[in-house]
Amino acid sequence: MTTTRFHAPERLDEAIRLLAADDEARPLAGGQTLVAMLNADLLSPSQIISLHRIAALKGIEKRSDGSVRIGAMTTHAGLARSDVLRDGHRLLAQAAGRIGHEAIRNRGTIGGAVAHGDPSADYPPALVALDAVIEAVGPKGKREIPASDFFQGFLTTALGQGEIVAAIILPPSLNQARTHYEKFARVEGDFATVSVAVALWRGGVRIALGGVGPVPVRSAEAEAELQAGQLSDAAINDAGALLVAASDPLDDVRGSADYRRRLIPRLVKRAIRAAQAKDAR
Amino acid sequence: MSNEKITITVNGKRYDKEVEPRRLLSDFIRDDLRLTGTHVGCEHGVCGSCTVLMNGKSVRSCLTFAVMADGAEIMTIEGLGTAENMHPLQKGFWEKHGLQCGFCTPGMLMTAVELLKEKPRPSVDEIREALSGNLCRCTGYQTIVESIQRGAEIMQGGK
Repeated sequence: MTTTRFHAPERLDEAIRLLAADDEARPLAGGQTLVAMLNADLLSPSQIISLHRIAALKGIEKRSDGSVRIGAMTTHAGLARSDVLRDGHRLLAQAAGRIGHEAIRNRGTIGGAVAHGDPSADYPPALVALDAVIEAVGPKGKREIPASDFFQGFLTTALGQGEIVAAIILPPSLNQARTHYEKFARVEGDFATVSVAVALWRGGVRIALGGVGPVPVRSAEAEAELQAGQLSDAAINDAGALLVAASDPLDDVRGSADYRRRLIPRLVKRAIRAAQAKDAR
Repeated sequence: MSNEKITITVNGKRYDKEVEPRRLLSDFIRDDLRLTGTHVGCEHGVCGSCTVLMNGKSVRSCLTFAVMADGAEIMTIEGLGTAENMHPLQKGFWEKHGLQCGFCTPGMLMTAVELLKEKPRPSVDEIREALSGNLCRCTGYQTIVESIQRGAEIMQGGK
């Protein structure tokens, strides 16, 4: 074990100052990935800056414009049970409830998971499908990054040096949508082999896939096809093929690339039909 | 390395200790407090044998630093019951042979305590889902599921 200094500041600006001053320092949220990586000696940070005392990173708040601001330190369990997330926004609660196991969900946070940027994780496709915005705070202040720009590659995000995720913002627009998160995993609690997040509303369709590329996969052609074909079986089949073409899956322990390509159309259909079955609004 | 001062209540007893920042809660419980009922299997959150309750909620003690539990109330298997006065879930495991080697049992029990708090009469599927984060290499899980069903029955006042 290497020497590591520990700080748990109460102020966000203090955490940012500490992180920006030392590029070997790491922010600690719920620790469900970071502590496992430290235990495996995959990282040896000079300092750990724990964010757990910072009030500004906590809480889920519905704002007057209908948007929802989720503090980065909100746990998966807290999000899964939140009654602030309603209607179309339930997609995110559904995804949160599929992460790992209860003991993991009790500690793991949305900010930590999003900053980690694992393309097989549950939040990235859900946030892209919901057109969410990531509120990042760093030494240069605050900025808002659309989820579709935030995830840039395998474990790579738009966050800069000393910058952390402060909140996730769900825009009001998709609150009227019917949404569904469909996850296929080998066993309960595993990362997705393939996951599908879908939002359907009067004016359109958004679909984002997890586990089949370095970032969540969307296809404008597939979404246009579904819209034009009014979600008919034929349109869903065509959209499935277009999404397969847009995907870039890898062979790994959770399934071969070919197996993932076969799963996509089936799960897309299942997700769309499940979303449609939810109450019309 | 600078040590951190922490105050943790474990099984109702308050401890004021100094710990290294990267001291895992699991190692703190086992080595500093000598409460060795909490077992450490994989140390990366997969096996569930180190599960304890922190402020009433299940956590992986191997994925939590002791400093992160500063001010918290922890419950370990030692706080659940004794050989003379077993918790209903422990009785269930005893009656239904819910363990063989016993390594996973403390984690199974702490997970089941949380489950029954939320769902006093869980279905088999709900039990299996709740246990999905706890690995057992002996039983094949069948007797563990039965043990938890039996524990729930005893807690509901059944004989």
